[in-house]
Amino acid sequence: MITAETVFEVGSLPGYAPLLLLLPLAGFAFTAAIGRRLGKMAHLVPLGAIVVTWALAMSLAIPALTGGLGEGGASMPLFTWIASGDLHFGLGLHVDALTGALLLVVTTVGALVHLYSVGYMSHDDSYWRFFAYLNLFMFSMLLLVLADNLLVVFAAWELVGLSSYLLIGFWYTKTAPGLAAKKAFITNRVGDVGFALGLMGLVVVFGSLDIHTVLAGVEAGALVGPAATVIALLIFCGAVGKSAQFPLHVWLPDAMEGPTPVSALIHAATMVNAGVYLVARMSPLFAASHDAMLVVAAIGIFTAIFAASIAFTQTDIKRVLAFSTLSQLGYMFAALGVGAWIPAIFHLITHGFFKGLLFLGSGSVIHAVNGEQEMTKMGGLSRKIPITYATMLIGTVAIAGLPPLAGFWSKDEILGEAFKFGFTWVWLVGMVVAGMTAFYMFRLMGLTFWGKSRVHDESHVHESPWTMTLPLIILAVPSIAIGAALGFPFANGILVNGLEPIFHPASAMLEHEHEAWTLFGIDGLLMLASVTIASIGTVIGLRLFRSDNSALLGRVTKRLQPLYDGSRNRWYFDDLNDLVFVRFGRKFADALWWFDRRVVDGTVNGVATLTSSGGRGLRQIQTGRVQNYALGIAFGLVAIAAAYLALAG
Amino acid sequence: MPILSLIIFAPLLGALGIAFLPSSRPSLVRVVALGVSLVTFALSLGMLLGIRAQGGEFAFSEQLSWIPSFGITYHLGVDGLSGALVVLTTLLSWICILASFGPIQTRVKEYFISFLILETGMLGVFLSLDLFLFYIFWEIVLVPMYLIIGIWGGADRIYATIKFVLYTLVGSLLMLVAILATAFSHQAATGSWTGAFDLIALRGTIVDPTLQVLGFAAFGLAFAIKVPMFPFHTWLPDAHVQAPTAGSVILAGVLLKLGGYGFIRFAIPLFPDGAHLFAPLMIALSVIAIIYGALVAIVQTDLKKLIAYSSVSHMGFVTLGIFTFNQQGVDGAILQMLNHGLITSGLFLLVGIGYERTHDREIAKMGGWAVRTPVYAALFGFFLFASVGLPGLSGFAGEFLVLLGAFIANPMVAGASTFVMILAAVYLLYMYQRVFTGPLSPFLKGLGSHLTDVTPTEILTLAPLAALIVVFGIMPTILTSSFAQSVETFLMSAISVVGQ
Repeated sequence: MITAETVFEVGSLPGYAPLLLLLPLAGFAFTAAIGRRLGKMAHLVPLGAIVVTWALAMSLAIPALTGGLGEGGASMPLFTWIASGDLHFGLGLHVDALTGALLLVVTTVGALVHLYSVGYMSHDDSYWRFFAYLNLFMFSMLLLVLADNLLVVFAAWELVGLSSYLLIGFWYTKTAPGLAAKKAFITNRVGDVGFALGLMGLVVVFGSLDIHTVLAGVEAGALVGPAATVIALLIFCGAVGKSAQFPLHVWLPDAMEGPTPVSALIHAATMVNAGVYLVARMSPLFAASHDAMLVVAAIGIFTAIFAASIAFTQTDIKRVLAFSTLSQLGYMFAALGVGAWIPAIFHLITHGFFKGLLFLGSGSVIHAVNGEQEMTKMGGLSRKIPITYATMLIGTVAIAGLPPLAGFWSKDEILGEAFKFGFTWVWLVGMVVAGMTAFYMFRLMGLTFWGKSRVHDESHVHESPWTMTLPLIILAVPSIAIGAALGFPFANGILVNGLEPIFHPASAMLEHEHEAWTLFGIDGLLMLASVTIASIGTVIGLRLFRSDNSALLGRVTKRLQPLYDGSRNRWYFDDLNDLVFVRFGRKFADALWWFDRRVVDGTVNGVATLTSSGGRGLRQIQTGRVQNYALGIAFGLVAIAAAYLALAG
Repeated sequence: MPILSLIIFAPLLGALGIAFLPSSRPSLVRVVALGVSLVTFALSLGMLLGIRAQGGEFAFSEQLSWIPSFGITYHLGVDGLSGALVVLTTLLSWICILASFGPIQTRVKEYFISFLILETGMLGVFLSLDLFLFYIFWEIVLVPMYLIIGIWGGADRIYATIKFVLYTLVGSLLMLVAILATAFSHQAATGSWTGAFDLIALRGTIVDPTLQVLGFAAFGLAFAIKVPMFPFHTWLPDAHVQAPTAGSVILAGVLLKLGGYGFIRFAIPLFPDGAHLFAPLMIALSVIAIIYGALVAIVQTDLKKLIAYSSVSHMGFVTLGIFTFNQQGVDGAILQMLNHGLITSGLFLLVGIGYERTHDREIAKMGGWAVRTPVYAALFGFFLFASVGLPGLSGFAGEFLVLLGAFIANPMVAGASTFVMILAAVYLLYMYQRVFTGPLSPFLKGLGSHLTDVTPTEILTLAPLAALIVVFGIMPTILTSSFAQSVETFLMSAISVVGQ
């Protein structure tokens, strides 16, 4: 049964903790103000700010993950943001193992993306603006993971949305980025309506949005039944938007209009994880409603297979990775939905690293072939850009779930726990997606690096400068090793030990029991199964794309033509949205506008016309003869007197 | 020192002074007008500091006998709420006067005289505690505004200005009837005219149920037209489109607030039972305004009209918050009034800056504007995101508190209203994308070197607004604490009096 958990001792954060926010904010303000005059030196301040931020973050994240901050983590109240009557919404910082996990990914990938951008954006006129926006994003994202109040989380949630909008639309002189940026912001806002309403519900129930107050209340059983389901699902709406889950996934593929470092940082490794973080942070709230958990699992696993099926046929290298991101985020939500909290965060970490690597690698490819993103115009690049090739291959093996690279560990844990908690359907679909993932990733590798070259002008193909390849090499390290480093020994690794206290209340509410991990038992079998399916996907992918196999490929495509078309057109979901919301919505707004002019304003003008024509009629009475007026006054007096007598009597 | 009278009449004195300046020296007129408005602003800041220092409901008040046979007095008073609105008015006044330096080139003297009289009228409305005095100032506001739109406005200015004046007049005449009825009823009940027009004396004493209902209806109509609430809003887009830039700024920044202020200061404290009777209707109309205004804004083709309809939507939050009768709703409503004053004024200034260069506001002709004038585009983006309600900028706190207040009162109302979060992003970002991003449109390209970026003077008009938007976005408690006492008094006075 649900019992109130013992409240952990919460320590104090070191005094420099606010610098994690202030450094990127100062970097943004500085660069926005005078960056334009700094030319190609504009990156120095923002890059320096983030490197220092990274170091400070590590000094908090490592103790947080290894238990150095204590089980309750550490806090620092700052100031009251919004107050009204008895309600106070304060801004304070809180770091625990979950924050630590996020800090690890956000600041590491963040710092490397800053470095990478020095090379990638070096030819851009708005070099300074790019770094200003990046720092603004880092500030917002760090605020999101550090805040101890849900209203501040919501604020940061909107601010990362703003940074995302600015960076997707970075190349504003072209049409497509502007459209994509707008679509991203608006689609996110759809989810945020739910998030905001969920927060209001929490205020009404708990009189606070302080995360610890709310969670303590939920753990004590103060929010149950339909109210818990409704509030949890409303908050989940926000997560669906930010983490681009079905049906709000449509903005993420379009967001690839932004510069590639942005795709790596915001739209793969960090911001899109915010939804996963939110649900994990509020785990007791979700655990209080089985229905809500079921919805989370269903949306997650559906998005996983839906997006993977689209990734099969896309030919734009970044879009393949974008759909892959949707799919992997779906995994994380499926994990959260079945109550596999720790594997979800584990996958968030490993995915952050290897997907960041893959995106930066794709940027390096695009850089090499002069801005081309179509894989149909690539091929055979492996020897031309060997560092990019080698690191991307590592990323591919990692995401495919082949041991011993990072993805294997986290993915295996998700699938294993889904099975053991009795969600066979999640496990089954998850297995299929694992195979599909390996397949489409090796397809990407094949079309890009293997086979014959289809590059337009091969003489210009070149490896990227060190500022770009160094981040790739650095990211390859965690892509290989972080799975084993955090997840081994099984069920007793750093991450499990670190996160266990945070998720214990939610798991207790779900009555999930953790049995001992057995290599020669169910766990070993499940692992074998997931390795097998990943290998099958890999083998098929290699078979079709290792060398030029267009004849076989053509036959397969032909046999599956309707499926192929559906996948290629993203299952027509964008067209449906366009029809329902854009066209129908526009018609509706047009109708209202007609109503406003003809009916509302028409009435006003009608009354005016009536009055003025009435006035013209009445003018006839103004004869100018005094005796007529006198008669009128006499009649009037009699009428008033009669009325007065009638009313008074 | 009668600081309140000084603040009210400083602009009027300035206007008188300008009347004696020669028309042949427009730049002298401009500088004097700016100087007068800056002095008024400084005086109001001094008053604000005084309010902070003093306790009690009205930190400063002045009362002089005026028409003793009817108990009408010259009664002024300022508290946190009116103090904040007074400073908003004096701030926007000097900004508007500065922003008019370039655009107004004909009848310069008359223009600034009108503007300063307008300022006196607005300040008088916020500071009056006598109903008769309030009514006088309320009507004074109409005259200079009528002239500003009618003389310095666009092509269709006469239609727009007459519509504005007649519409407002219909409401205010009924309010005059209600003021007289209230006074007569007071005299009948107490046998004396003393205090018959005095807000403080009348508050909580009107126990006649019929007068409660009819009185609220009459006051409420006048204020609803001013806010404007749906369906009395159609004068607003016309007036905005035809008004010169500074006229639009004052209209959106201050005149609309007169309506919201009227509800909080007069209509509800005088007629709480009537207010409670009408509250469901007022809430329904507010929700309609919020959603409807936003939807209609999406399809607007004229930049000013788009922002005018966004005002209808944003002001819907003000009335929604007020009629929740709870702390969060009212706090939010007042925040929303002040922040809408800052944000929408900024947007109208920006539209005006663009109009100076293009002489057009047709969205379809624009496109890629950011290519040529990046600073202008960035400033527009800043005010636009403030208007979208981005947390960290000032618009968010007010809207959130209003929605929270509505949620506490009735979650369905909040549920419906919260959808404006999407719609606001749609109409503003859709506009921004069409006007500022993409390749440069042929129309803008055709303007050649006329399409310059913002000048330092223009930045000077926008900078104070932008700074306040950031400060109040990060620390809205500065504002909420300054009017906490007013809200407490309001909530007390909104309790039923009939049958006590």
